[in-house]
Amino acid sequence: MDILILKSLTEVFSMKATIAIILGLVVLLTPAPAPAHHAFAAEFDAKNCADITGVLTKVSYENPHAYLFVDVKNTAGQPEETTFQLSSTSNLRRGGATFPVLNASVGKEVLVRGCAARNGEKSRYAASFIKLADGIIQRVGQDVEGIFGTKIWR
Amino acid sequence: MRALVCLAIAAGALVSVALAAQDPPKPFVEARGSVKPVRLLPGGPPPRMADGHVDLSGVWFPGPTGRANAWSVVPDAPLKEDPIPFQPWAAEKIKSMSRTEQQLGNAQVTCQPLGVPGMWTINPYPHQIVMTPRLFVHLIESNNNWRVVRLPRQHKPKEEQEPLFMGDTASRWEGDTLVLETISLDERTWIQGNGWFHSDEVKVTERLRRPSRNYLEVQYTVEDPKVLTKAWTSAWRTYSLGSEDLTENFCTNNENVDQLLKLYERERGNR
Repeated sequence: MDILILKSLTEVFSMKATIAIILGLVVLLTPAPAPAHHAFAAEFDAKNCADITGVLTKVSYENPHAYLFVDVKNTAGQPEETTFQLSSTSNLRRGGATFPVLNASVGKEVLVRGCAARNGEKSRYAASFIKLADGIIQRVGQDVEGIFGTKIWR
Repeated sequence: MRALVCLAIAAGALVSVALAAQDPPKPFVEARGSVKPVRLLPGGPPPRMADGHVDLSGVWFPGPTGRANAWSVVPDAPLKEDPIPFQPWAAEKIKSMSRTEQQLGNAQVTCQPLGVPGMWTINPYPHQIVMTPRLFVHLIESNNNWRVVRLPRQHKPKEEQEPLFMGDTASRWEGDTLVLETISLDERTWIQGNGWFHSDEVKVTERLRRPSRNYLEVQYTVEDPKVLTKAWTSAWRTYSLGSEDLTENFCTNNENVDQLLKLYERERGNR
């Protein structure tokens, strides 16, 4: 039966379409993400994320969350302070984002992936990674978008 | 039958072709810090103390990898547990909490002491256990919470009991399992981070065992006649032996509470 179906499929569709069917079924059968157990989903919008570029001005390496402060040019070309909430210092240290590593990019241009705050405050985000001044892409927070192919804490 | 199968496949193909026509999915971002988990081997029999009991000492990370898994590329396997037998009023109280209210009551968010069993259930960071035949020392990285329990120990007399974040803990061995029975828990602590609050009559019984050198397993039972209809026992949670030390994690700059309060005010305004 399986062979017959496969034969009729290959007659009707190209191999590309067959692969699309398999991929489509995989997408349809993929289980929903696990429920949240962290403040992220309450505070930030995982559907409203962007790559944001600016000059890193300060690193606040504290708990329960560290923060990065980045001057981002607004539409008028003026620098506007943008705050990025990171993970805890425990997770950052173990993931290679030590204070010296982050602080080495202060005064330089960085790119940060951030998801916007839900409470209406502009220029406040949670970050998942930073492209440091030396070009290294460094995890600094949760993978709420699934962009690392990792845990999703929606 | 064959026609039906073909029809189903054709329908699936239409959906799939439509999906394939969209932008292709972006490749995953390769970033320093993402963890590809590798399960630890059992590591042989557990060490024992001079009195012959199993020594639970070690730095213990949640999960089977012996290291931090916050940025693991594989989701945690869900725990298989019975539903929590809440009394109807308690179930309704938890259900009525908004997501923001739930966060504002969570000690991991507010940086309050985690309590028992919150030290296990509301704490994603590693534990360090230091044991002698007469002492159980439990240190956790999360906001540097700790507790010390003598072995064996009875509860204080009832007239001396007072609410404490870590409660009053009696201890005993049952074979190779260390049993910790805690009462007099401060009602500001929660059993789990999902809003599971408790009453002043709660009793939490933890069971700790080390089946092999590299693994620690923890189970807890909650009895709470004011909140539950009957006792509830958790699944065994797995912790694995790490080779790192605990790191400093004092909660000194908590902006989350203010942020959540702003969100709470917006939610109330929208009701």
